Amino acid sequence: MAKKSDIPFSTDPSRLFLPWISMLMIFIATLTLAGGLSAYKALSYWNKSVSASITVQIPIVDDKGKPRGEEVQNDIEKALTILRTNPGILGAKVLEETQMRRLMTPWLGEHADIKALPLPHVIDVTVDTINPPNIEELNTELIQFVPLAVLDSHRVWLDTLITIAGGLMKLTIIILALLLITTAFTVSYSAKTSLSMHKHVIALVHMMGANDSYIAWQYAIRILKLTLLGGLSGLVLALPIIFGVGYFFETIAGDFKCKIDALMLIILISTPFAFALLAFISTLKTVSTALKRMI
Amino acid sequence: MLNETKLSAYIAEFNGVSLRYETGPEVLKDIQFTLEPGSFHFMTGESGAGKSSLLRMLYLDLLPSRGRVRLFGHAVDALSRSAKAKLRRQIGVVFQDFRLLDHLSAFDNVALPLRIAGVKENEIRRHVSEMLAWVGLEKQMKTLPPQLSGGEKQRVAIARSVINRPRILLADEPTGNVDDAMAKRLLHLFLELNKLGTTVVIATHNQPLIKHFGFPQLHLDHGRLQLIQPTNKYADMASKLFKRGDNNG
Repeated sequence: MAKKSDIPFSTDPSRLFLPWISMLMIFIATLTLAGGLSAYKALSYWNKSVSASITVQIPIVDDKGKPRGEEVQNDIEKALTILRTNPGILGAKVLEETQMRRLMTPWLGEHADIKALPLPHVIDVTVDTINPPNIEELNTELIQFVPLAVLDSHRVWLDTLITIAGGLMKLTIIILALLLITTAFTVSYSAKTSLSMHKHVIALVHMMGANDSYIAWQYAIRILKLTLLGGLSGLVLALPIIFGVGYFFETIAGDFKCKIDALMLIILISTPFAFALLAFISTLKTVSTALKRMI
Repeated sequence: MLNETKLSAYIAEFNGVSLRYETGPEVLKDIQFTLEPGSFHFMTGESGAGKSSLLRMLYLDLLPSRGRVRLFGHAVDALSRSAKAKLRRQIGVVFQDFRLLDHLSAFDNVALPLRIAGVKENEIRRHVSEMLAWVGLEKQMKTLPPQLSGGEKQRVAIARSVINRPRILLADEPTGNVDDAMAKRLLHLFLELNKLGTTVVIATHNQPLIKHFGFPQLHLDHGRLQLIQPTNKYADMASKLFKRGDNNG
């Protein structure tokens, strides 16, 4: 004979609203989490790829726009020597005309005469990402020997991206915290309402020798089932959207590098279970505390 | 708490006990009595005399406002919540309004005290089936209380109260909803339990039944308790009943 719960939960209003609320919570939570994790992943990728390369520009004209002639070649040689002797740098080479042309094509078109433009010579520097050079010191050394050299570590735009991505991460954490607090309050309210509805049954069970944990456990199991039911439904609804958006970024904007990987998927799938566990613990605590006041 | 050395041989010991609800007048005044193991008492008195309050104190639902109550040798006011819960498992209670859980079958209602005590399901199945057969309800095991008659509900309530072999059985007007024949059958059922060593206290207004069985009365009058011993005639009758029960058993 199957064992039924001692408390007649089938008459509780939470039976209907709790799964729906959990579904909505998990739907929002997984979407938010996927966004935050993708932003973090993209930022890590950009950080890594940008940190791996820096450029040094040697202008061919001076401050007044006057051609510098043979000085340019000397500056290139000095800069290459400084760069190649730095232990944090794996290699440095001057970009050839064809490479420069390719770089400028998006702005000037394929047939532009780039020689007619006062474009600087660009030295592409490959950085040792494990032991990277101190950019500040490198810049100081370069300016000391090649005063017109411009070192570009791409930090300016990367810092902006870091700020944006950091903001997104904070927003994710705030939204998740709000959702968790709301879940805890909802299950707590639901448990208290149910306790009030079934106080006669609880008094009877208590009179037969049930301790607080016996009653609290039944409530917690009940809430766990309802929140899991709703939470898993929310996850099922959110996953196609997450994969759809991920596919869009991969195909339309491949540079974003924010495809959902295995670890992210595990985190997303764990979300409804984590929420259900929180609901379970909140219920245990709420019911135990309420019972001490009730009986 | 329950591991304390048992200091008393009594099942229950009330010493100068008074009870008041919040700031109201005292509903029980200076109550003094003891219940010995295996004793059988009726609890009598007019409505409002304090019978239910005294029963509630006996099943640890209320604590005295004054005086001391000891149950199974333990001072109840010194017990923790979990210790009280353990003591309650040794008390069987039958309510006048049965207090069966309507969403549970007769089987699950009777099984409830065993589940609370953490008994294994296979043992529960065996004990509950035997118990329901004993009260003549083996065919109603899966029936929900709303589908049972008053007498059947009463028997389910009794089966539930005795399923875990309580040391004391408290019954509040257990015969209030049944006819005289059924009332006597139920009383015989309590006698059977009493023979097995359970202390029994039955609150009732049923004077013919009290006279018929002739056990001592804990009589309450305006909150004061008086022990009324049966007259010789009734005591003899009770003695015969016991003997007859022994022979039948």
